[in-house]
Amino acid sequence: MRMLGVVVVIFIAAPLLIVVPMSFSSARSLQFPPPGYWLGYYQAYFTDLTWLRPTWNSIVIATATMVLTMVLVVPATFALVRHRFAGKSIADLMMLMPLAVPHIVMAVGYYSFLGEYRLVHTHIGVVLAHTCLSVPIAFLVLSANLKGFDRTLERAAQSLGASPIKTFIHVTLPILRPGLVISALFAFVQSFDETVVAIFISGRNAETLPRKMFDSIRQEADPVIAVISTLLFAAVLLALLAPAGWKGIRSRLRARTPPTAITTGR
Amino acid sequence: MTSYLQIDGVTKKFGDFTALEKVDLSVRKGEFVTFLGPSGSGKTTTLMIIAGFEKATHGDVLIEGRSISRLAPHERNIGIVFQNYALFPHKTAAENVYFPLQMRSIARSAGLRKAQEMLSLVGLEGMGGRYPKELSGGQQQRVALARALVFEPSLLLLDEPLGALDKNLREQMQIEIKRIQRTLGVTTIFVTHDQSEAMSMSDRIVVFEKGRIEQAATPLDIYHRPATRFVAGFVGESNLVPAEIKDAGGVAESAALGACDFEPAEPVSPGDNVTLLIRPEHIRLSRKPIEGRKNVSMHVDTIVNYGDNSLVIGRVGDLQMRVRVLGADVVIIKEGEDCCVSWLPESVYAIPAA
Ligand SMILES: Nc1ncnc2c1ncn2[C@@H]1O[C@H](COP(=O)(O)OP(=O)(O)OP(=O)(O)O)[C@@H](O)[C@H]1O
Ligand SMILES: [Mg+2]
Repeated sequence: MRMLGVVVVIFIAAPLLIVVPMSFSSARSLQFPPPGYWLGYYQAYFTDLTWLRPTWNSIVIATATMVLTMVLVVPATFALVRHRFAGKSIADLMMLMPLAVPHIVMAVGYYSFLGEYRLVHTHIGVVLAHTCLSVPIAFLVLSANLKGFDRTLERAAQSLGASPIKTFIHVTLPILRPGLVISALFAFVQSFDETVVAIFISGRNAETLPRKMFDSIRQEADPVIAVISTLLFAAVLLALLAPAGWKGIRSRLRARTPPTAITTGR
Repeated sequence: MTSYLQIDGVTKKFGDFTALEKVDLSVRKGEFVTFLGPSGSGKTTTLMIIAGFEKATHGDVLIEGRSISRLAPHERNIGIVFQNYALFPHKTAAENVYFPLQMRSIARSAGLRKAQEMLSLVGLEGMGGRYPKELSGGQQQRVALARALVFEPSLLLLDEPLGALDKNLREQMQIEIKRIQRTLGVTTIFVTHDQSEAMSMSDRIVVFEKGRIEQAATPLDIYHRPATRFVAGFVGESNLVPAEIKDAGGVAESAALGACDFEPAEPVSPGDNVTLLIRPEHIRLSRKPIEGRKNVSMHVDTIVNYGDNSLVIGRVGDLQMRVRVLGADVVIIKEGEDCCVSWLPESVYAIPAA
């Protein structure tokens, strides 16, 4: 069992051990091990518009995808998890459909479909396509959370004088918050990471970062790619560690406050 | 009897299944009423109809003469303690208790002060800052109780609140709940399927069976004068003997026991079929017949020793009988032997056949 763990960690860590040093490399193209080290490619990334624009596009598209996904998925999940209605199992299946269809098939479909509405090569077009791909992931995460939600909490709130709306705001939403945050995060990452559909429909105008990286590695193997990979990894690491760090700080603060004063909570 | 809460002919159907059938009950102000009954007998359903989470198919629920059937749960001002406590995990104990006050637009500082007072009443002084997961089961139970009481509800409902606690804590909480209920004088309905809990806590016990009320009476009446065979069998241990009335003054005849004297509590007439109830602890075990008591001979099959008492199970003819013996009295007898069992006429209660 432990051996297996070690193997898994090695397989995950190996690419990082190669990519991170390469980002500081002084070589002209991707080369391992690096002949020397400098920060030039970091400077190149942060000053070159041909890299910054796709980055910005990706951020905008992923954010919009995340928002649109949540607007669709939150009500849909409540309906599908909590209510019974005719055609529910079909609706359930439709929500998960995009997971089963290969991205390349989806991409070709979007290309011709969006083309008809003149949405190819636009931000909106990419956001719509990415939302379709994000919905099933966000739905899976959120429905698992909602199924585990103890509904007697809502009954308790109502017996204590909370109207259904107040119950939702004061009880349901805060308790589901971790699930909501995670499913939104998955929607964001899905879009930020998506390459196949982006290659087909993002074009020059809405070019996303993965697409730009793909183009670049085909043409010149620009070491900036290693820089971006390293930065992305750092961002993910930060996002993962932030909650734990925040908890540590808070519990230390709480431990210092006298017990009578801590009725206000978080 | 002026009634405070009135349940008026309530019937509840889930599809074809009738969960409650024509339930009538009236509860006085300040009364502590326990719903007792086997699993699936409709206790929770009745509670949920009072609370407004289920709608009665027929019938009405009234508080102080006014129907509450049309009010939404949050408009009813009824405090509920659920079996799993249902504390809000994202709020501290004090915030949980403050919640109903917050919903009634009471300012945070005043509300939290009131919440702390309530927490002190339930014995949780200074624990207001803890989150539910930082509290033990018994402590969570107390928070739930404080939260259900802080807004001065017109009614307190508790659905098997002690089910998840171990025996010692359970007994401690029984006393505690009783004390708090008396202090505040709140009208309370308590659901349990633990009969000793029902006995020790209630002003009145309502026995449910298959969606009907079998009997609603004081604990002593439920125990000594059960209305039906079911109540006699469900509450406490019992010997139930089918018999026929021979004399309205108090003689019944049964196949196993022969003629048996009893003190009639309800009017009976000769020829009536009844069930005689003799509680195991009212039966005495001896080597020889005892003067002034009804004596029969019993063959002892099994003796179960509980330390402070023993249960002797034997046969009188083909009738199985159970006898409770305190302390060391049981030493006089061994399994497989014959002995004499006896009781007084006033220990026999004749349950009329339905
Ligand atoms: N929502 C529902 N749909 C269908 N049947 C139900 C529903 N709620 C309860 N019942 C049925 O109604 C009957 C009474 O249930 P209820 O929960 O009131 O029993 P209870 O006396 O509280 O039992 P327990 O001691 O097990 O809690 C049961 O047979 C139950 O299966
Ligand atoms: Mg129940």
